[in-house]
Amino acid sequence: MKFYKEHYDVIIMGAGLAGLSAALQLQARGITDILILEKHNLPGGLATSYVRNGIEIEATLHEMMSIGSKQDRLKVGTFFDEMGIDIDWLKVPEAYRFIEKTKKIDITLHSGFRTMSDEIDAQYPGWGDKVYDFMNLCNRVYNSMNILSVTPMSKPEMLRKHPDFVKTVGYSAKQVMDTFKFPQDIVDILTPYWIYVGNPMSSLPFTIYAFLMADYFRGGSYVCRNFSHEMSMKLQAKVEENGAQIEFRQEVEKILVRNRKVYGVRTKRGDEIFSDYVISAAYPNKVYTQMIEPLSEVPVEAIKMVNARKLSVCPVSVMMVLDGTPEELGIRDYNVFSGDTMDTDKIWENYHTLGPYGYLTSICLNLANPGCTPEGYTQFSITALPLVDPFLNVKETEYHALKRRLASEMIANYEETTGVNLHDHIVEIEVETPVTVAHYVGAWKGSIYGYSHSLDDHAVARLQMKEEDHFIEGLEFAGAHSISGNGMGPAVTNGRAAAKGVLDSRKEQKEDYRLVSGYMKLADMLNRRKGADK
Amino acid sequence: MKIESFLKDVGGASRVTSARREKFRKGSPLPEPEDPIRALSDALHPDKMRFIVTDVRDVSPTSKTWRLRSTDGHIPIFQSGQYVCFHLQIGDSVLNRPYSISSAPFESKCDNPFIEVTIRRNRPYFVPDYFFDHVKVGEVLWGSMPFGTFYYEPLRDSKNVVAIAGGSGITPFLSMAREIAAGWLDVNLTIIYGSVHSSDIVCGRELDEIDRKCDKVRVVHVMSDDPDWQGEKGFVNREIIEKYSGEDTTYMFCGPYAMYTFVEKIMKEMGVPAGRFRKDAIAQPDVSLIPGYPSDKKEEVYTIKVMRGIHEDIIQAAASEPVAVAVERAGIALDTHCRGGECGMCRSQLLEGEIFVSPIGDGRRRMDKELGWFHACSAYPMSDLVIKIPIL
Repeated sequence: MKFYKEHYDVIIMGAGLAGLSAALQLQARGITDILILEKHNLPGGLATSYVRNGIEIEATLHEMMSIGSKQDRLKVGTFFDEMGIDIDWLKVPEAYRFIEKTKKIDITLHSGFRTMSDEIDAQYPGWGDKVYDFMNLCNRVYNSMNILSVTPMSKPEMLRKHPDFVKTVGYSAKQVMDTFKFPQDIVDILTPYWIYVGNPMSSLPFTIYAFLMADYFRGGSYVCRNFSHEMSMKLQAKVEENGAQIEFRQEVEKILVRNRKVYGVRTKRGDEIFSDYVISAAYPNKVYTQMIEPLSEVPVEAIKMVNARKLSVCPVSVMMVLDGTPEELGIRDYNVFSGDTMDTDKIWENYHTLGPYGYLTSICLNLANPGCTPEGYTQFSITALPLVDPFLNVKETEYHALKRRLASEMIANYEETTGVNLHDHIVEIEVETPVTVAHYVGAWKGSIYGYSHSLDDHAVARLQMKEEDHFIEGLEFAGAHSISGNGMGPAVTNGRAAAKGVLDSRKEQKEDYRLVSGYMKLADMLNRRKGADK
Repeated sequence: MKIESFLKDVGGASRVTSARREKFRKGSPLPEPEDPIRALSDALHPDKMRFIVTDVRDVSPTSKTWRLRSTDGHIPIFQSGQYVCFHLQIGDSVLNRPYSISSAPFESKCDNPFIEVTIRRNRPYFVPDYFFDHVKVGEVLWGSMPFGTFYYEPLRDSKNVVAIAGGSGITPFLSMAREIAAGWLDVNLTIIYGSVHSSDIVCGRELDEIDRKCDKVRVVHVMSDDPDWQGEKGFVNREIIEKYSGEDTTYMFCGPYAMYTFVEKIMKEMGVPAGRFRKDAIAQPDVSLIPGYPSDKKEEVYTIKVMRGIHEDIIQAAASEPVAVAVERAGIALDTHCRGGECGMCRSQLLEGEIFVSPIGDGRRRMDKELGWFHACSAYPMSDLVIKIPIL
């Protein structure tokens, strides 16, 4: 029985947002002979949902960045529009409410640079304009980043056209923010999003922080009316409509390599399928230490690279369906960040343990998407984003007890912070950990955030070192582990970048081929002429 | 703007690039292929398990219990109420069947770990017949576990649990009772167990023994048709349920569909909040009992073109049977788990044709409904179909 063709132009491992976006980008450039192999029986990777007793529950998506309003579309929103993908986006009501319990900071910020500066000014009079300046700096860096990631330019030109970007690249978020001399409270208020790129402010590149702040506060973020499964399904449907073959429940076990060049894959069930190009959603750690066949094709530089890089944070999420409307339950906020401290170095220490976790983010999905549950229920989640390290030694027999302990601590913490009673209203509850992620999507060590954004693994450096990070011809990576890093918006960008890698390489080869065939024609002509001469 | 000095500021890009290069240069050259998180997730959810039957015993005149050990010695942790799924080949059919695990979780954690399943055959039935006639001591069975969300969850449920069981629906509660009796689970469990006749009670002796020895477990038998019975008689009704319920109770139900509709009504009448009533996945009943099923189509037979990758099979399918059954009968592997429409393991793509989806346990996602994805275990062909399923 043959389930596959012998050969495809491109094989994509993983039907997550990155893999599907890679396929769309390839198709837009005329490559349609694509096979996508997905481990799970659903598209979207973590952008998915599940159903418990008839209620659909969002699996991960807090909010989608880089979409923008119809009037001010941002990068990912524009791409979806261009690809003809029409998602029913709902804007989230506020950026966040931030509660710092020790200093008793309690403030809610909405999107719009002016709006949020005014909200800070109302509590800290006189500081609004400076916050506004700071946000505009973030926005300039954001715009530059979006241009420079696709348009290479010389250093002098870059300095002339993108001075703020150039001048802040080498500094941490803390270093740049310090130059504004904000009172500590305002620093704290501007910090909560740091965890979405997982590294303390003292080592988080300002570039990444600025990107995040500008993107989230410029036009606000969005959720899909029918959960992130809507986005995944619509991407999949378009990719299939454009002619790609997608097969679920197919985990790729080996990537076949000869002379440092990809020639195919082998699935867990044993199918060998050939292609000159493979785009991998699997982490480089796994690819270079388990999947390349034979492993002798892996250069030592690739091993040194994956060993040197540090994995970013992973999720511990408590997902609940509660009986009662948000109003009845007293839940007023869509998104709350809360903790005893906003010292990110201290939170980082806490995130190197198995809890109890102090710094939490909570989402009440109904307040962005009132129809997400049947009438009279609320969908609510609490998340901490610790490092994977403390989970590495968890034993099978301890696992369920650990999950329950972490969940009850997080619920109690939220209840104490907000005075809302959750535990008496739980109808459904699921606890997600790095182990859950590993189970469903197979991500390396359950990591959802790829490699840590740090000053010694800076996105700008990643971009500059693109060629030297490339070890196997025809093998591209698309996932949180690639250049733009983690998040569902960046996942799309990462997928498109991987497609570009394939397209550039094919172009080179075509040119090689043209060159060769040119020579052949010339030789042929000369031969014929020789014949004629005779 | 200026951060430190103009020269230092403009040198940022080369600084971060050389820092990254330097970091990579110092990286260890030794491959580190271990992923303990994936290893843990694989241990908790092994892909495929090879079981061997080590004991078969009668537990009522019409039911038996099979004890199974894993040939690699490892049984993943499960919670009382979860099920094992057997992958069977019977004649030309390739099929999966879920069975609640009737042994206790602690018995799968000790030395020589095992699980047990208890199956009843009160009338001829395809898979139970196979177990009764063919699955003897020494037989090898393939399967996977644990599955299902029907278990006591301390973060959600009350410590006072009233379990309502019908027929072989006793098995998840037997597991729970054993776990409680052994001191591994802190729950006050009252089992209201409905049978037709005392000779139908599954595992009656063991249940009564636990009831006697453990003050946290109480078993109340209710006989619907047994004139000599000394205890509760009739169908499990509101009066009986209320009689054995205390304050703040979580109700758990496992039994046939007809009984479920009855119990669900009682729960509504009693004003039990949604979160305090849990039910196990319910196998799809005969189509005549499924609300909304177009009975005029019942006798129709259609063809289904089943696509797996670029491969196509044409199979016959009765309108009165779920698509999954037709696929299995044709010898095509399809991974079904719960068989009740809920879990979504048999999620398939409808490319052409009309189906009827049973409203009982319809666990489809909204977008799946809109874009034509369905759960094959609970969807019935209403015309010729073209479907796509995973390659297994």
